[in-house]
Amino acid sequence: MAMDFDDMLRKIKDRQWALADIEWDAPGAEMISPELHAKLKPFMADLMWIENVGARGFAAMAKKAPTETLREIYRYFHAEEQKHANAELALMRRWGMLDGDEIPQPNINVKLVIDFLDQYADSMSLSFLGTVIPMLEVALDGALVKFIMDEIEDPVCQEVFKRINADESRHLAVDFAVMDVLGHAEIRKLLIELVGGWVKPTFMIGVLSYVPLLNKMRDNIVAMGVDEEKLYAALKRYGNVGERSEFARRLPMYQIVKMHGGWVINRHHPYHLVADALVKITARVPKVLLRKDPTWSKEITYEPAA
Amino acid sequence: MKTIDVAIIGAGFAGIGAAIRLRQKGIHDFTLFERGTKIGGTWRDNTYPGAACDIPSRLYSYSFARNPDWSHTYSGSNEILGYIESMAADYGLHERIRFGHTVAGIEFDESAGHWTIDIEGRDPVRARSVVLASGPLANASFPAIRGIEDYEGHKIHSARWDHDYDFTGKKVAVVGTGASAVQIIPELVKQAASVKVFQRTPGWVLPRVNRRTSPLLKQLYRQVPASESLARQAWFYGHESVALGVVWNTPLTRVVEMVGKAQLRRQVKDPWLRRQLTPDFRAGCKRLLMTDDYYPALQQDNCKLITWPIARLSEKGIRTAEGVEHQADCIVFATGFDVSKAGTPIPIVGRDGRVLAQEWSKGAYAYKSVAVSGYPNLFFTFGPNSGPGHNSALVYMEAQLDYLSGAIKTILDRDLRLLDVRREKQDRYNAAIQRRLTATTWNSGCHSWYLTEDGFNATMYPGFATQYVNQLRTLKLDDYEVVESVPARPKIAAVS
Repeated sequence: MAMDFDDMLRKIKDRQWALADIEWDAPGAEMISPELHAKLKPFMADLMWIENVGARGFAAMAKKAPTETLREIYRYFHAEEQKHANAELALMRRWGMLDGDEIPQPNINVKLVIDFLDQYADSMSLSFLGTVIPMLEVALDGALVKFIMDEIEDPVCQEVFKRINADESRHLAVDFAVMDVLGHAEIRKLLIELVGGWVKPTFMIGVLSYVPLLNKMRDNIVAMGVDEEKLYAALKRYGNVGERSEFARRLPMYQIVKMHGGWVINRHHPYHLVADALVKITARVPKVLLRKDPTWSKEITYEPAA
Repeated sequence: MKTIDVAIIGAGFAGIGAAIRLRQKGIHDFTLFERGTKIGGTWRDNTYPGAACDIPSRLYSYSFARNPDWSHTYSGSNEILGYIESMAADYGLHERIRFGHTVAGIEFDESAGHWTIDIEGRDPVRARSVVLASGPLANASFPAIRGIEDYEGHKIHSARWDHDYDFTGKKVAVVGTGASAVQIIPELVKQAASVKVFQRTPGWVLPRVNRRTSPLLKQLYRQVPASESLARQAWFYGHESVALGVVWNTPLTRVVEMVGKAQLRRQVKDPWLRRQLTPDFRAGCKRLLMTDDYYPALQQDNCKLITWPIARLSEKGIRTAEGVEHQADCIVFATGFDVSKAGTPIPIVGRDGRVLAQEWSKGAYAYKSVAVSGYPNLFFTFGPNSGPGHNSALVYMEAQLDYLSGAIKTILDRDLRLLDVRREKQDRYNAAIQRRLTATTWNSGCHSWYLTEDGFNATMYPGFATQYVNQLRTLKLDDYEVVESVPARPKIAAVS
């Protein structure tokens, strides 16, 4: 059944929470062992920055959405992704992972994706963004959040991620509902948008940023001592949920993203030769070649009040 | 109870203008009912720092009440209020104004042909004609934000400024980025410790070149009135030409947008801030903002633009959807007015007990924005669909005043009991207005205060000011039901 977006917007507004609702100094921080602490720090830094990837995607979608309600929903989602990043930073501070006021930097692959989105997301069509952003959400955000909830016992962390999870489930519900709506378009229009999107030279930059990101995050998960199947299960979810909608299936871009997901979870697929090579190449990209961080990325804060 | 010829409700720009026009037409039996203790309406109420008009004063004034002495191209609220006061003084209107008289409602007595005006805490008054000059921007509107009552700091509405509050060293939040906000923010930034500006949708900002009028020019305007008229005409036609890009979506709309974008590029260097300040609707769809000071003020070290949706107000400040509580000593609500697009500012009961608020519940309408069928001898200033998007409101108002004073003169000269616009004429007029509105920028998809919740445009006039003025030039009595007073029966001579 089609989603009632007005009702969803009401729900989103009703369920807003703030950093001030969390007792950041409550006991439980000591439950992070020194060994876990060392592994968790870069992982959290990446997670926090991946929230920003979603945030930037939603910011672009807010400009493209066909109705005012959907625009407003995306404006909230943009802000909520920032809230998740803020909360994750606040957890890092709670666990003593921050060096003064310094904001930890993301890995190079996250940085490349942020850089790409910042430059090109606003010029991408809704059907492009509306199919790729859900994959990033299920694969990265969803899988990593699930991992944290499974592995970290700190009750404050549990509370924070329970709230984040609830937000994310609304994001995904809207993501797939929008894919369903987008799938109602004429095939001719969808194909034109697909070709129009792929022929842009900038799109290749996006692909070259996106491909190593997934493999890099897989490497990170493995480095944390976790079964990579958790990431793969999340990637499969994109296809499983998408298949439920007759119309989402009509989206050529959905089929492409799903097919790519299939390659990622098959470790024997030749795709990994390219993707793993790209992870190695991108790790060597000299810093001078990277653009300056956009000002929005400096908005991140662990302070509940400003 | 005595019946006066004309009751004017409101002593703002419209009420004072109506009184002058009536007096100039030889009508002297009128009274103005004003709920406040001073005249001036919107310009009495809007005294926030930086308050000014974004239409040049030469054009934002009545042609029948000249003022050669405007100090700048665009005047501040004090000077405009002074102008209104000087008009009232010049025409000896103060003795005709009943201050502290809040009109609670009006009701028409068809058999007698007069309106009964209920006034809070006082005896009612009867009038043969009523001019409703209460103005669309009379009632300040706080936004419907969750928890607005929870906030324990100081709250100020732009239209009810608290001049006793000292902003020095204070943390201030400003909600809204419309016409008032872009004037207030640069002033607050000069004073407050920090200013956070909460924006929902950015507007199109165009440059405003405000020059001081030289003494020589003032002297010329004083000594050669034709030169002032010429200047006014030049401003008028300059603004009329803007309608081509602002009222309708045309290639010229792109030109207006290019000017806005050029100003943004010139004044804002950071790409993300520029993105946040770039409107996503066509220029003209919402009120254009005219200022050179707003963007630079936003980039001062003590100022910050916040575009996250407001989740709620808390005891100490504003919580936005990115989870942060933005604490403030004072919140300034520059959130506009409770504009009557549906319903009426006061209860109005017309012929056969009909209630105008009910008829207007889905959106207001009128005949040429001035009269409504079923409500005889009642005239609106700034009635439905009389809003300008590109020209001076005073030009529209002056046309209304000429029209209604002519109609009232007709009522009095011909001793009419009723002058009631015919329903079919009104319907035909409104069908045409709504049809024409579909092609305008205001109905092009953005949400603005011009539209009701259902998207009905009861506010704007879809055309040139010249067209609006022309349609009100003559009173076509054929469009009205005209009922003369029943001649008094000849007295029967007493039989001795």
